[in-house]
Amino acid sequence: MKQHPLCTDPDHGPTIMDLPIAQGMKAEWAELQTRRHFLGRAGKVLGWAALASLGDRMLNSDAHAASVLPKPQELKLPHFAPKAKRAIYLFMSGGPPQMDLLDYKPNLAQLYDKDIPESVRGAQQLTGMTAGQARFPIAPSHWAFKQYGKSGAWVSDLLPYTARMVDDLTIIRSTNTDAINHEPAIMLLNTGNMNAGKPCLGAWLSYGLGSMNDNLPTFMVLLSKLNPKENNQPVSSRLWSSGFLSSEYAGVGLRSAGDPVLYLTDPKGVDRDVRRKMLDAVNEINRQTYQELGDPETNSRISQYEMAYRMQASVPELTDMSREPQSTWDLYGPDAKEPGTYAYNCLMARRMAERDVRFIQVYKRGWDVHADVTGMLPVLCQETDRATYALVTDLKQRGLLDDTLVIWGGEFGRTVYSQGGLSPDNYGRDHHPRCFTTWMAGGGVRPGITYGETDDYSYNVVKDPVPVRDFNATVLHCLGIDHNKLTYKFQGLDQKLTGTTPAAVVTNLLA
Amino acid sequence: MGRLKKLAWVASLLVSVMLLLLPAIFKLDGKPHADWQQFLGRFHPSVVHLPIGLILLVPLLELAGRSRPALLEAAAFVLSLSVLSCLLALTLGYLLAYGSGEAGGGVARHMWGAIALTIAVAFSFLVRGASGELRQSYPYLLAGVLVLLVWTAHQGGSLTHGDKYLTEYLPAPLRRAPEKPFEFPDSFYARHIYPVLDANCVGCHGRSKVKGNLRLDTYDRLMRGGEDGAVIIPGIPERSTLLKRITLPKDDKKFMPSEGKPPLTPDEIAWIKAWIQQGASPEVKSLVGINAPEPYHEEPVPQVADYSGKMGEIAQAAKSAGVTLVPVSRNLGDGLILNTVNAGAKFGDAQLAGLARFAPYIVEAELGRTSVTDGCFDTLAKFTHLRVLHLEGTAIRGTGLPELAQLPQLTYLNLSGTGVTQAAIAPLTSMKNLRHLYLYNTPAQPAAR
Repeated sequence: MKQHPLCTDPDHGPTIMDLPIAQGMKAEWAELQTRRHFLGRAGKVLGWAALASLGDRMLNSDAHAASVLPKPQELKLPHFAPKAKRAIYLFMSGGPPQMDLLDYKPNLAQLYDKDIPESVRGAQQLTGMTAGQARFPIAPSHWAFKQYGKSGAWVSDLLPYTARMVDDLTIIRSTNTDAINHEPAIMLLNTGNMNAGKPCLGAWLSYGLGSMNDNLPTFMVLLSKLNPKENNQPVSSRLWSSGFLSSEYAGVGLRSAGDPVLYLTDPKGVDRDVRRKMLDAVNEINRQTYQELGDPETNSRISQYEMAYRMQASVPELTDMSREPQSTWDLYGPDAKEPGTYAYNCLMARRMAERDVRFIQVYKRGWDVHADVTGMLPVLCQETDRATYALVTDLKQRGLLDDTLVIWGGEFGRTVYSQGGLSPDNYGRDHHPRCFTTWMAGGGVRPGITYGETDDYSYNVVKDPVPVRDFNATVLHCLGIDHNKLTYKFQGLDQKLTGTTPAAVVTNLLA
Repeated sequence: MGRLKKLAWVASLLVSVMLLLLPAIFKLDGKPHADWQQFLGRFHPSVVHLPIGLILLVPLLELAGRSRPALLEAAAFVLSLSVLSCLLALTLGYLLAYGSGEAGGGVARHMWGAIALTIAVAFSFLVRGASGELRQSYPYLLAGVLVLLVWTAHQGGSLTHGDKYLTEYLPAPLRRAPEKPFEFPDSFYARHIYPVLDANCVGCHGRSKVKGNLRLDTYDRLMRGGEDGAVIIPGIPERSTLLKRITLPKDDKKFMPSEGKPPLTPDEIAWIKAWIQQGASPEVKSLVGINAPEPYHEEPVPQVADYSGKMGEIAQAAKSAGVTLVPVSRNLGDGLILNTVNAGAKFGDAQLAGLARFAPYIVEAELGRTSVTDGCFDTLAKFTHLRVLHLEGTAIRGTGLPELAQLPQLTYLNLSGTGVTQAAIAPLTSMKNLRHLYLYNTPAQPAAR
């Protein structure tokens, strides 16, 4: 092994990379090796010990050893013919209040300012924000609900556009989660685990299904502009991280302001040829580094440079909306003209779907309405309702909804009781994990149904609960993946998106 | 022949005649009788295993007795016990059927099987002890006994477990199609009421077992009712016995399903109630206020021929055309998807023609935003397994669309953003499987409502 510049070990010996052993095993050894370099505990002794730990595999056949680190193309996915080829996830970060939007509770009106029964609340631990409250007064929704469509789904007056498309939606009122605070809840929904470090849904999809378009990332993330008046919980790149999977499967974010991708245009004096030559040289150096150290992340870096080079051509085409007809703007509304708005991102998501980006996640922050629900919720709905409707409708008219799964939802729901003071025209709502409403539409799911039921207080699920793991298993199923089979060995466990608690596909949601 | 043996023959003949007359004397009329009969009768399912075991032992002892003669003596003893245990099991079984009022084809078959078996076992015992020519027929008689035993036991098993128990999980190709398809397969009855009754009730109120003279396995029989008259009164759920019995308190003697079987779910009860309320029709497709999910089942994906030997060739051709040909799933029979997104406008009619030799394996052709023209339809006509065809954003005007009529499996056709007109798409109406046709942003687009 050649000496790493940071390694002080003077001993030079034969390298494991030179041995006639299976590539998969070399790769796993290299991962251990780089981890040690990183920890500053480089040394042959540990290296050989690590190899010894792989010894039993070494004795086995090459075929077995090669299966240690399967490449996506060797995974042989999809497991079965999928209904959806791509997915668009409209993430309502902060936790939309289900009983003000889609979970109609007519009985609450009579219970205004009454305390929520102990029997309903049970021994649940509340957040620090309301645990100290002396009372838990019921706050009925400020808005009226009506039934829409053939399916007769109840929709709040806040969502006049969503109301028009209920027959295309699969509304799930019984989604529930284990976490009551934003960060663990949003991690759980995205990665199947409350702790950071696991790959998110998009990374699993991009690892498992691979790319359809060579010139755009497989997994793209669109952050919507902040409205400073709203209570914006942070979202971080942990949410679109690839965790222990190679970083080439992580989501690629487009900026919400300014150039969507920085340094997309070559600087003055650098033309395309010069750029190419520079990249070729860098790649050559990277390949040498890989030969020496065998760190798979070096390969990821090479492919990321190449992707960036191709994106210099593909992203300007993607983001150039000058050729969108007037009908597009009529549909998405005037906000869509302003880069970075949620409406703009919805339109961008449609353009990405057209270009076969596998997974697109749009984040809209601000749903964390602890106070002033009657002030904030109309703003949030005004920002999102029309564009969400426009996206689904646009996909549908263009024939894309047949094989695109659209998902709408936040990380949890909100309490029926008021956080802080309750007055006839205002109230606040705290985090609520036991039930929240999400919906899906398009490829693979059954349109025009409402699934699951909550009790009269929209507090507990009384029928057909859909825990996060089942929700994710169902999403994977729509994309042709058996959630129990898409696994990756890490830390001694066959890791998967749905975690270790047995999860099930909710077949009643499937078309 | 000794006196004792003669007596045995006479006794056996008498018992046989009695057994044969039994069903005529105590008729299985479908009405329950005394409780003590049921009480004793319920020991039948456990006692019945005694004769089964003993009878099966006899041929084994006979065979093993060839090398160890002592076992031959044991065979005679076991056979005599078989006769007695048969009689006991038969008596208990008859008490069960008579006492609880069971009737029906399955019960009758099981009963006659048991009677025939008992008689056959008794005569096997006599023949075994006989001498001369009669003794020669013993092995044949014993073989007959075994056949009868298996058949009778199967009939009994079908009564307790339902007659689909054995074949339910049979490998698909061996299964028989359901006997009679529904007259209205889309009806609420066929999709929701029948499956509930089939899963919960038909075990005791079906073809092989007819408790209370009530069968629930077809619409007509359901409406005809049982010995207490109609169980469904259309429009009046409160007076419909069926609904009453399934909604009684669980510990009520008349609660259905009986014998500790799981009750119907609130949803299922709601469906039945609403169905009766709204006329109990065999035709009506949906009910007001009822949102019953369709039972989920995966549609089988039509398969293409095996192309595993041509993988290299296919990859080569795709690469030279600048496109990808990716399997729909790991099951190669699901076919290939032709994806042209990386080639874009560089992909045209010539490139498509170059891939035509793999046409029968391609089920989905994504030709959107390529430079194919109306000339592509000549090639597309060879894509006989095509289910999905994307032509959005191309320059086609639709003159070649009639050629698509040769693609029987085509379900999805996207012509958005092309120049097709109403006249050009008219020939598509003859394509029965074409369910999704997209004409957004074309001259053919229907006027907005």
